[in-house]
Amino acid sequence: MLQQVHIALSESTHRVLLKLASFLPGLLALLVAVLLFTLIGAALAALVRLILHAMRFDERLARSNIFAGNANIQNWSTSHSPSVLLARVVLFGCVILGCIVGISALDASYSNNSETSKLLLPYLTHSVGAIVIFLVGNLIARFLSRSVLIGAVNARLHYARMLSEGVKWLVLVLTAAMVLDHLQVGGTVVDLAFGILFGGIVLALALAVGLGSRDLVSRSIEKSAERTTDASSSSVPPGSEPGNPPPIRIDALRHF
Amino acid sequence: MTPTSTDIETRQPTRDAAALASEPAAPEPTPLAGDLLICLTPLPPEHLEATLKNLAGEFPEQAAGNGNGGGNIMVAISDAATSDPVPDSPLRLLHYTSSSTALFLTAGDYVNAFKMAQEHNARACILLGPESQSLSPGFVRRVAAALLGPSEAGAGPEADLVLPHYRLGPNNGLVNSAILYPVTRALYRLCPRFPQAIDVGLSLRMAERLATAAQAFTTAGQNDAILWPVAEAAAANWPVAEIDAGPRGLPQPASNDLNALLSEIAGSFFADIEARASVWQRVRFYQPGSASAETPNSAGTLPDVTPMLEAFRVAYVNLQEVWALVLPPQTLLGLKHLSLMAPAAFRMNDELWTRIVYDFILAYRLRTINRGHLLGALTPLYLAWVASHILLAGAGAAPEQHIEDLAATFERDKAYLVSRWRWPDRFNP
Repeated sequence: MLQQVHIALSESTHRVLLKLASFLPGLLALLVAVLLFTLIGAALAALVRLILHAMRFDERLARSNIFAGNANIQNWSTSHSPSVLLARVVLFGCVILGCIVGISALDASYSNNSETSKLLLPYLTHSVGAIVIFLVGNLIARFLSRSVLIGAVNARLHYARMLSEGVKWLVLVLTAAMVLDHLQVGGTVVDLAFGILFGGIVLALALAVGLGSRDLVSRSIEKSAERTTDASSSSVPPGSEPGNPPPIRIDALRHF
Repeated sequence: MTPTSTDIETRQPTRDAAALASEPAAPEPTPLAGDLLICLTPLPPEHLEATLKNLAGEFPEQAAGNGNGGGNIMVAISDAATSDPVPDSPLRLLHYTSSSTALFLTAGDYVNAFKMAQEHNARACILLGPESQSLSPGFVRRVAAALLGPSEAGAGPEADLVLPHYRLGPNNGLVNSAILYPVTRALYRLCPRFPQAIDVGLSLRMAERLATAAQAFTTAGQNDAILWPVAEAAAANWPVAEIDAGPRGLPQPASNDLNALLSEIAGSFFADIEARASVWQRVRFYQPGSASAETPNSAGTLPDVTPMLEAFRVAYVNLQEVWALVLPPQTLLGLKHLSLMAPAAFRMNDELWTRIVYDFILAYRLRTINRGHLLGALTPLYLAWVASHILLAGAGAAPEQHIEDLAATFERDKAYLVSRWRWPDRFNP
């Protein structure tokens, strides 16, 4: 009995070690490939930057097309330098190439009938996709939140912050659901939870905005009703004497 | 065409507006040697007829058929905007295609004007914007005289760029008063009161320079892009003159969205400042302009500032995190004090507004936040300045004097902008 247990354990350990032994070189190959291509990318990026700097690429671009196309290129670069943008494109291109080569090496290190390969590789690629979705979702959430906040403030909405936070959380919840779905975690529970949460936020926002705007809407209706009455009764505004200029309202301002 | 440091130091100052204002309004028999092209932006038929009638009155020798003796005046009218027949005019009419209905003169307008001036061998051209029928009598002739008449030195025209000085009243042209005029005056040391005027006079070389700059936009399909002629003239070190234009009807913007309009104008202005950093950082010579033309008073009543104050207060509650990315703590403290002021005592001091504008220009350059967001966050602050300006005028202060004081503050504080422009991280106020 003990011998059988011992045999079962040793065989199991042997199988795991065998799999680990076949997995480690592949993992090492993946890391080496990513590292190597990152180094190559960094070197190439530095070279590109040096060449473009020597060519005075940024200045030439700025001089040839000051605002039109150049402005669009510059919008994509945080350092607003087209040459830095190109160098970064080279660097990240090499890193992505390294990842592809590494994953291919990892795949090749397994035998075709390996179950681990069938499970691990798709999960690895899904993880990369999930990270990208998470980052992009966060960026979009921040951008939309600030856009809504500034737009609502300029529309003089007192609940601007709440609206902006609502939009941010809507996008973040959507992002989280997409990430989990991409990672195939949770199954239908995620879909259900997302539906409830998303619907809840939308309903809460609708109620809040609707209730908050009640006064605004009633004031607007009152104003338009007053305007109609004024126009039909007399062309002279109430309170003003004939011959005197009508009081200047905010509309009388000319900003341009 | 990049000017040297020496060139910039010997820049000719803007002509004295008060002296020009004292010129008689009636047309003078100024000799106009050479051809002049007057370009009209698309106008409704009745406005076009009135404008042509006014122009015929401004150049009676042309109307009488004695064009050879006094120069040849050509008037370019757009035939795209209307299918109505063109009214009869004693002036020589040219036709061009333009559908621009923008508030200001656009890149397309400058390109069209230069092409026509070149085709018809004009020595200078005058671009008249929308509502040009409301221009004061004698204005166009005085602009033509400044462009075609000989300078005191005798060589070349008196000015390459002639800008009007409108008398609009304290409640008009507020973006110009708050941002465009003081910043232009501080940066380029040229003080035309309306740097982005609706009408403009250009020598042929100035028209060519502006058309070249405009070409970058028109080739990218941005015909409605705004150009900044004063900055171009400053970069080329060419003389700029200012002519009193009296009151003028202002064109109605296509949209009533202040935020969108302010973002468009301020965005274009800030981008131009960014592109010309090497020019304005070296400008030193300056001869201060004298008192400007008087502005008519409002009819005793002032606009209600409550909505503007409300807009500022709503923004103060909600936009602090955005402003904190752009403005230094001292300015934020100033805004806090401002938010606590009673409506009647609401005053934004000139130093605070100057720092706000300069910090927004710097943030635009550094891309501290998305540029659309940045310009959107400027709108409530601008409204606070407008409210303060109106309340000041209501308290009896002369609005024009307030604008002049503000411009002087911008000039004094230019060192702050230059320092932070050069060393954005090192310089921490």
